[in-house]
Amino acid sequence: MKLEVGYIDIKGIRFGDYNAVEDGILIVNPEPLLEPVLEDPLIKSAHFEIATPGESIRITPVKDVIEPRVKVEGGGGVFPGMVSKVDTVGSGKTHVLRGMAVVTAGPIVGFQEGIIDMTGVGADYTPFSKLHNLVLVMEPVEDFKQHEYEAAARLAGLRTAAAIGELARELVPDETVVYETPTIAESFKEEWKDLPRVGYVMMLQSQGLLHDTYVYGVDAKRTLSTLISATEVMDGAIVSGNCVSACDKNTTYHHQNNPVIHDLLAVHGKKINFVGTIITNENVYLDDKIRSSDWTSKMARYLSLDAAIITQEGFGNPDTDLIMNCTKLEKQGIKTVIITDEYAGQDGKSQSLADADELANAVVTGGNANEVVVLPPLDRVIGTLDYVDTVAGGHAGSLRPDGSIEAELQIITGSTNEMGFNRMSAR
Amino acid sequence: MIIGELWRLTPGGEQETLHTSKFQIVTNNPMVAEALGERCHIVFLEHGSDRDVIETVRDLVHRHHRVLTAPLAGSVKPWETPYRSVMVSVSKGTAIDATSLELVEFALMVIGQSRERLETTKPSIDRDFQTVDLSLIESALPSVEAIGRI
Repeated sequence: MKLEVGYIDIKGIRFGDYNAVEDGILIVNPEPLLEPVLEDPLIKSAHFEIATPGESIRITPVKDVIEPRVKVEGGGGVFPGMVSKVDTVGSGKTHVLRGMAVVTAGPIVGFQEGIIDMTGVGADYTPFSKLHNLVLVMEPVEDFKQHEYEAAARLAGLRTAAAIGELARELVPDETVVYETPTIAESFKEEWKDLPRVGYVMMLQSQGLLHDTYVYGVDAKRTLSTLISATEVMDGAIVSGNCVSACDKNTTYHHQNNPVIHDLLAVHGKKINFVGTIITNENVYLDDKIRSSDWTSKMARYLSLDAAIITQEGFGNPDTDLIMNCTKLEKQGIKTVIITDEYAGQDGKSQSLADADELANAVVTGGNANEVVVLPPLDRVIGTLDYVDTVAGGHAGSLRPDGSIEAELQIITGSTNEMGFNRMSAR
Repeated sequence: MIIGELWRLTPGGEQETLHTSKFQIVTNNPMVAEALGERCHIVFLEHGSDRDVIETVRDLVHRHHRVLTAPLAGSVKPWETPYRSVMVSVSKGTAIDATSLELVEFALMVIGQSRERLETTKPSIDRDFQTVDLSLIESALPSVEAIGRI
């Protein structure tokens, strides 16, 4: 598949009485954008706020981060099966509003939502502090069912991002990059025959109604491991639908900008032969874990891989899936590198993963989620601080009287991302 | 393989079948007990700890039942959530299932290593922990119910 991605750099966001992108500035008229959001009977109220890098702003609780994109040429539309109808994406031309994101905020599950600080120590730990954020703050009706409201909030974010992305349809990109993925036959061509055949195994969180990922609109836990083109992922074929801890949640933005995919494509045909991407799930049911990891290893063999990179989302019982995928590939002679994060205790001395195997001997860490940070008080809060004491990584007393927060890195959205999207690691 | 139907004697001495499900759930989560009690047998450990749940599962494994869902919490650390639910087969094998035993022993080790649970301050957060635990175990239902026997 061949996808031309046109990046339009966004340098600021402001409110106005029309919606447009002019000279790199996104102008937002909230009313027409909020109308479809408020049509959902589960959403009691919704409004937009703007957060600019360097401002003294704390956004919490964060649900998802989404990059606005629009399909300009080629089949399908962004977020197929969710916002656009189900149709194969990943070919043609896509425009991206780079340097900004739609952030959805508001309470869903009290202990699993995160913080984005736009300045200070906290800002260093999240990649999203560097973006111009249009924050969609939503409040549910009373007595809502969390999984139903999660779906409502998820769709509201994706629809808003798609509507903003639509503003970029006719714009001239600041930069254009062409991404191309080979067919299996092409991957065997003569000039690449001496390059190692490398695949990417992307594990998708799929443990339950509040721990799910959707592929072309399908709940990943109801799928078998399968192949997907890197360019399909860029067009929003995979979206986040979960409320796992903030630090290692793969937001929709992470999927759209998957760094493993981008880095592998950057060296494809030069250092390695990037043959393909396998997506597989992380289910609770043990036979599902066995079946999915068996299937992953069968597909890796089918693709004649020499090596694979495996990424994860979440922790605890997904560590079992991670180790199953790793060992089953290694036993077939396929070298693996795992990207994960650690829960090694505040002193870093405890066992990092909930599962382990001696074949998992090449691991890249995204950092220790238990590391303690103190976030200074900031001038303005978008959302609410009501949950700071109870989110993963926080505790009773986390929120101090002066507005500062003492908590573990778990609390910061994207801080220990298991795709390696952030800057923390260890040697 | 014998499917262990669960039954009780009525006051009139009749044998009444309670559940014919192929699985049972060991839990300390009242929301699971309430939501799934009509669908399968629930071993409800009211006010029990996560360790109590896993130890009860281990006892069942010693009696040749098989563990059907991952006993480690899913993306919620043991010291954060007080709730745990594990699905176990109703039927018994002829010997201890080695994989099941390995899983529960490993889960007990992880719980043993974890630090003391921090107090959550709000009843609404307690309900959220119950909801996520219920959601995790509910996600296994289509898989377990898709096959006629375990």
